Amino acid sequence: MQEGTGVTKTSMRMGGLAAAFLTALVVAAPAHAQSRAETLRYVTGAAVNTLDPTMPGTTREAFAISLSTYDRLVSFGRKKLGDNWVFDLDAIRGELAERYEVSPDGLTLTFFLRKDAKFQDGTPVTADDVKWSLDRAVSAKSLAGPQLLTGSLTSPDQFTVVDPHTFKVTLPKPDRLALPNLATVYAIIINSKVAKAHATPEDPWAQAWLKDHAVGSGAYSVDVFKPGEQVVLKRNADWTGAAPDKPAGFKRVIAQTIPDPATRANLVEKGDADIVIDLQANDALALKERGKLKVIATPQFNALTLISFNTKMPPFDKAEVRQALAYALPYDAMFKAALFGRGKPLFGATWGEGDPAAAFPVAQPVTLDLPRAKALLAKAGLPDGFSTTFSFNVGQAATAEPMAALIRESLEKIGVKVEIQKLPDAQMSTQVSEKKLPFFTEGIVAWLPSPDYFYRNFYTGNQRWNYSSIDDPEINELAAKARFERDPAKYDDEVRALNRRNFALMPQIPIWQPNQDAVMAQSVEGYTYQFHRQVDYRDLSRK
Amino acid sequence: MASAGIVARRTGRRFLSSLPALLGVLVFTFLLMRVLPGDPAVFFASGPNAGKAEIEEIRRQMGLDKPVPEQLVRYLGDVARGQLGRSMTTGQPVLTDLRQRLPASLELTFTALAIALLLAIPLGIAAALRPGSVVDHAVRFLCALGVCVPTFVSGLLLIYVFYYLLGIAPDPTGRVDVFAASPPDITGFLLIDFLLVGDWEGWRAAAGQLVLPALTMALFVLAPLARITRAAMLSVLGSDFIRTARSLGLPRRRVIVTYALRNAILPVLTIAGIVFSTMLGANVLVEKVFSWPGVASYALDALLASDYAPVQGFVLLMASLFVVVNLTVDVLYGLADPRVSIE
Repeated sequence: MQEGTGVTKTSMRMGGLAAAFLTALVVAAPAHAQSRAETLRYVTGAAVNTLDPTMPGTTREAFAISLSTYDRLVSFGRKKLGDNWVFDLDAIRGELAERYEVSPDGLTLTFFLRKDAKFQDGTPVTADDVKWSLDRAVSAKSLAGPQLLTGSLTSPDQFTVVDPHTFKVTLPKPDRLALPNLATVYAIIINSKVAKAHATPEDPWAQAWLKDHAVGSGAYSVDVFKPGEQVVLKRNADWTGAAPDKPAGFKRVIAQTIPDPATRANLVEKGDADIVIDLQANDALALKERGKLKVIATPQFNALTLISFNTKMPPFDKAEVRQALAYALPYDAMFKAALFGRGKPLFGATWGEGDPAAAFPVAQPVTLDLPRAKALLAKAGLPDGFSTTFSFNVGQAATAEPMAALIRESLEKIGVKVEIQKLPDAQMSTQVSEKKLPFFTEGIVAWLPSPDYFYRNFYTGNQRWNYSSIDDPEINELAAKARFERDPAKYDDEVRALNRRNFALMPQIPIWQPNQDAVMAQSVEGYTYQFHRQVDYRDLSRK
Repeated sequence: MASAGIVARRTGRRFLSSLPALLGVLVFTFLLMRVLPGDPAVFFASGPNAGKAEIEEIRRQMGLDKPVPEQLVRYLGDVARGQLGRSMTTGQPVLTDLRQRLPASLELTFTALAIALLLAIPLGIAAALRPGSVVDHAVRFLCALGVCVPTFVSGLLLIYVFYYLLGIAPDPTGRVDVFAASPPDITGFLLIDFLLVGDWEGWRAAAGQLVLPALTMALFVLAPLARITRAAMLSVLGSDFIRTARSLGLPRRRVIVTYALRNAILPVLTIAGIVFSTMLGANVLVEKVFSWPGVASYALDALLASDYAPVQGFVLLMASLFVVVNLTVDVLYGLADPRVSIE
């Protein structure tokens, strides 16, 4: 007995040692090197994987970084949507160009570069750099080419250097999206002398080197780049694009990858992080209710969530079947369970005189109406229903999982048996691309949210983004025509016709536009919802 | 000197005999990745306008346009030259990624294992000395708790208490305080690097970042270690030589630590080796919760994107580490009990 007690003491002493070791570690104090107030710490679940935004596979976070490290010729202005600032597709202002002119026939765009513009290595920005950069965008094998194509920018022949500070773009047709395309993340202006020095015969556009090096004239230069972990940006004091003529608000920006959403919520609530935009809907709601932080909720007006049918696959090749399902979805319940009501619903509308509006997306006149759904199914020759699968990807599980469960429950009532299929992201995109899924949910985004662009990209052609594989002569014709329509009234008529046709065919059901909940410290100001759905660090400053 | 020679010879032989297994793992992983239904080229052609041409181009860049046998031969050739391909997820060569991330994982795992052993062995001994007592039941309860609670739950709980409520732990975001200057980069093990440059402030900060994730993992592996210690100690304590030692009136400490523990340590070593290998791969949840830039979360992200090269590189790395760990455990056997020599 006595022996036992003694030995327990020995082991307890060892345990005590372990405990002392742990305490010593926990109490370790953090050391802050630079002024916290001048630093913006942005946390996100995604990662930055390249400094060259044109690389295939570039993440959205990498787009955000490139927006700050590079300049483009022009950029989007901003407007008020409700109480919030959002980007404005129709107000394009100069960025590297101090001004631009569009010829009366809409075929020539002339850009006058800022004379004082300098790259981060101190050399002046010239029209030759602009030419090389845009040549690269349309020639190099990257994702820039297909994007600029949507603005009729396809060949280096369209880009001319007039003099060192004047640059001209010519268009084959007066394309409404040519100018906005030059404001997107792909149209970056690169320091061509430096980039050319790192080009090789196999890699004439220095794509390998630019992945890890940013040589632009932007508001911030890259201080630390750890792919998948964090990027630290340093303010470029020479950059004066923050209107009017001021450098960017923060001296330093840290964009850090924090995979766990609960940890991100903790960080911003404790004040250790300044801004976050990808919290879970319920966390954002809770933080808003606690009232300590600023929560700016903007419906993502250039993005929407869809429930898509494969119109090439029976029974969804029948419009009545698609319509039947559209009247059998529990919209309100899904909106509450998946989004906690944080978004703009696109269902339950009533179309009156003048509707649908000449916009995209427009709220659809659909509601949960089971008798009507049953009648439509019977009309399609399927009074007893059928079986199908409903797919979504793991990345969307937080919202799609409750949605799927509710859909299954509701469709059972009209005799449609649904099996739920949750796919890893790469598998989902492969199967969508190969048109193998009958019934699924996906989201779409347009950087340049003009209605004809939405219809051309997401409702025409045998390509991946035409989720429903719809091939309707009327939609094809109207969408192609609207692109080059210069008369605003006619354009609106065409868009209305597209919206009506789309509703009649019901290839996919727009269900909502989720909010982007930007949660930030009270002291952070200037947040603007941007086309790439990321934070533009240049907008922000501290009170 | 002679024994060192024997150890070296044994090590070399074991290493050679593990090469076929490594090759098998390499080929198997390679084929497995290609059988999975996800197509990385489609996934990475994610721009809103990427069409067939872009997907084909990415396929060409990744070498996926060639037939699978040719891809395999090329891949094996690359591995033989020490290249593991390029990750599409991070845009970096896989070798660079693994080299940067492995020390983070190893540092975390070593620390967790050290904490686990420091806690488990005394607990196991205490339980074995008085089986059926309150201490024994308390240890059993603690072990059950450690195993039952998933690491992401215990991790989040620790963060909630020590960071969110009490505010004594630094923010749970990676290996160093994000506002501090970049740490020295010598070995990649921050605790060692800060020691080498003599930066105590930095060392304390790095250790502070390490303690919560390490504790989370330690709690999870406490059970097997403590239970095996208890079982091994029980059988040794009942043996004749312990009774003899006791009857000779040797000091208690000497009986327990020198005679009993040393004889009971072999199974604990075996389990520790297995636990270590498992922890390296299985700590993905801990890495995610604490934003720890380790290899496991790296491999998981790549797997979700069907990014072949990093997954293959990771599996190869894990297989190699497993070989090394087994070897180390064998060598430690010899040190713990000179009668054992495994050929």
